[in-house]
Amino acid sequence: MKYEHCIRCTICVENCPVFRVNPEFPGPKQSGPDAQRFRSDGKKSVDDWVLLCSQCKRCEMACPCGVEPAQIILRAQQKYGLEHPHTAAHLLFANNYYLSTLGSMTAPLANRVAATKIGKKIFQRLGIATYIPFPKFSFKTLRQEKKTRNREVRKVAFFYGCFINFYRPDIGRKIIQILQSLRIDVVLPSQWCCGLPALGNGNLALARSFAAKNVASLSNYIDAGYDVVYTCTSCGLCLLHDYQGIMEIPGAKKIAENSYNVHEYVLKLIAEQEIKPAFKEVNRTLAYHIPCHLRALEIGYPAANLLRLIPSLQCRILDDACCGLNGSYGFKKINEATALQLGGRAVSLIKKTGAEAIVADCGSCRMQLSGLSGMEAFDPAEIIYESLGIKV
Amino acid sequence: MSVIEYDVIVIGAGVAGLTAGTLLAGQGLNVALVTAGEPTACLSTGCVDVCSQNENPLQGIANLPDLHPFHLVSSETILQALTDFQQVMTDMNIPYTGTLEKNRQVISAIGTFKTTCLTPLTMESSPQSIDEKIQIVTFTGLKDFYPSYIISRLQNASFSTYDARVSTTMGIAAKFEDDAFLEAFISWLENLNISADKIAVPAVLGLESATAIMKRIASRLKRPVFEIPTIPPSMPGRRLFNALKDHFRSKGGVIYWGWPVVGVEKAGRLIEAVTAESRGRPNSLNARAFVLATGSFVGGGLHAERDTIVEPVFGLPVHVPSQREGWFDQDYFSANHGIGQAGIMVDTSFRAVGCPWDNIFVCGAILAHTEALKNGCGHGFAMTTGHAAARSCLEYLQ
Repeated sequence: MKYEHCIRCTICVENCPVFRVNPEFPGPKQSGPDAQRFRSDGKKSVDDWVLLCSQCKRCEMACPCGVEPAQIILRAQQKYGLEHPHTAAHLLFANNYYLSTLGSMTAPLANRVAATKIGKKIFQRLGIATYIPFPKFSFKTLRQEKKTRNREVRKVAFFYGCFINFYRPDIGRKIIQILQSLRIDVVLPSQWCCGLPALGNGNLALARSFAAKNVASLSNYIDAGYDVVYTCTSCGLCLLHDYQGIMEIPGAKKIAENSYNVHEYVLKLIAEQEIKPAFKEVNRTLAYHIPCHLRALEIGYPAANLLRLIPSLQCRILDDACCGLNGSYGFKKINEATALQLGGRAVSLIKKTGAEAIVADCGSCRMQLSGLSGMEAFDPAEIIYESLGIKV
Repeated sequence: MSVIEYDVIVIGAGVAGLTAGTLLAGQGLNVALVTAGEPTACLSTGCVDVCSQNENPLQGIANLPDLHPFHLVSSETILQALTDFQQVMTDMNIPYTGTLEKNRQVISAIGTFKTTCLTPLTMESSPQSIDEKIQIVTFTGLKDFYPSYIISRLQNASFSTYDARVSTTMGIAAKFEDDAFLEAFISWLENLNISADKIAVPAVLGLESATAIMKRIASRLKRPVFEIPTIPPSMPGRRLFNALKDHFRSKGGVIYWGWPVVGVEKAGRLIEAVTAESRGRPNSLNARAFVLATGSFVGGGLHAERDTIVEPVFGLPVHVPSQREGWFDQDYFSANHGIGQAGIMVDTSFRAVGCPWDNIFVCGAILAHTEALKNGCGHGFAMTTGHAAARSCLEYLQ
């Protein structure tokens, strides 16, 4: 929130994916630091274009002066959200956690309905885009996984996040098995939505209520000697940055200090010579699409560093393009055109590399990129799992 | 604290840092590059200025004041650095034209001539005199591009306006990547029945495929087409940065974005690690050697306080030209602001003079006495000193 430090250099504008393709959005400089001086608490927001910002945070990564345009816009979005009625799509996506809980419980039915023409019509009525299929709910969530403890020296509490839990628990199980094979004890603490979808849909109060519950739960594990690991880069960003920042959750600092990206954690243990994973050959040529929120975590690209240790794996890093989906952003009808154009560019850059498959840490990036390209998209953990040759 | 071990850590992602990093990574070293934000190179015209004081850049360098850091490198090193650069850019599909024997002119968005050494191929046909016959094409609503200024200076130029339905350089560049848009643009140009010898457009011909787009328009219109660099957001600057960055990665280099260095760990005459304050916990990166390429004031490499100037990463001794009264010339647009001489003084090994550590190598615009604006020592200076600092670093590590 240091808008006075802006020197108007426009590097943020150069990095804004939405500004590239949507002329309605005036870009991070204008909607961030420039407009900030005209916003005041007493006056109602008139800048509805702040809602067009996808919160990819690329502007913040580019700024050489430490201004945080996305953060300024995020706060303007919350202010706007408080003052204006929310659309159906905003309300639904803010409450994604509850909807997904319901969706998973009724998965066989919910998935079938969502895939029908009527289902799609309902989505469209609600202002939800259907250019890629809605992800399939998993009937058995990760939360129901049986707990195993081997009393290893290292123990972690796994914050798996909604995407893994409700849609891809299989990836969650692989991550657990990777960690266990490296002699790390894994527990699944009680957890709720990280709060990012609520924040992204202008619902700070709901986001804070999720966050407070997570902080209380994770805090107990940290006190008992656990490190927290997360896999979803957006959950991670929320845990590390937003709990302490815009949400102002008491105790958030402790969570931030003790939470690790799962690959960052493995790298750390390798560097400390506690573990020596035996990576076996993987004969694949991959394009590693770096999720915007992984960049924003400011931890480098830990999974890429791990993949480099895998013999014969070819992996090209691509971090210039946003996939365009941005969680629930691209699923909203008003952002559909933006999401499609950005996705198209990301896919064309991937195809230029000649890769046979995509790898990305973020579930929504994978959904978008495989949906638009027809290529397979893996979580890096799936490749590491393959390389470690884990037998269950 | 996360600890990772590298051979070399480069601080700064500009032309100097990326050149040094690529050279070191190309020698099989494990190199990481850390950067607070994106470099000022993104805001540049993409042109490589070596020394604009003379028609012949090498002669210009020979005439520079004795303390100028260009005198620390041989003309062979300069040639090597520029040749390597041109080869890399050709491989990365944004070829550069020009030679170290003779400077070129590029016309600017207000119709003035800018002296430079190497230019992107998309600017190769930029006029070298004021009487060439040129048809300028601009875009409806495009700000910060002034064809009428250009026409006031070029006797035989005129302009037409195309409606791209968007009015920003970024937005138009994105549209040019779309085949249907490019085709419609070309048909419109064909219908203009242009009689001029050359066609000029602001630098918006795409981001990834600029050279191919320029060539396609030129072959259809049967005459040269060239780009006129705009003020930021600048597509040619971004193309240059993207290409250097991709090349660094292709040599095995690793980049940490949003990683402002806030602390260093020292042991005797060595720096052992640099630390960044990420919002979770401090992140530390260990290395055997460090290359400092954080740029000048705008890039954040130098920071001016009331009466002194500091180098914020290692706290290296900074050459401060005079008392504050002497930092600025009376004329705002003067090239003789004293503060242009501020920076780090280095010896022939590119170690800072008076630096208590043996494993820091300094290059690029942060060097004292560069006076980039006055001497026209831009990217060419950055890549040359980046090259030389990397060689010195390599020698140290071996």
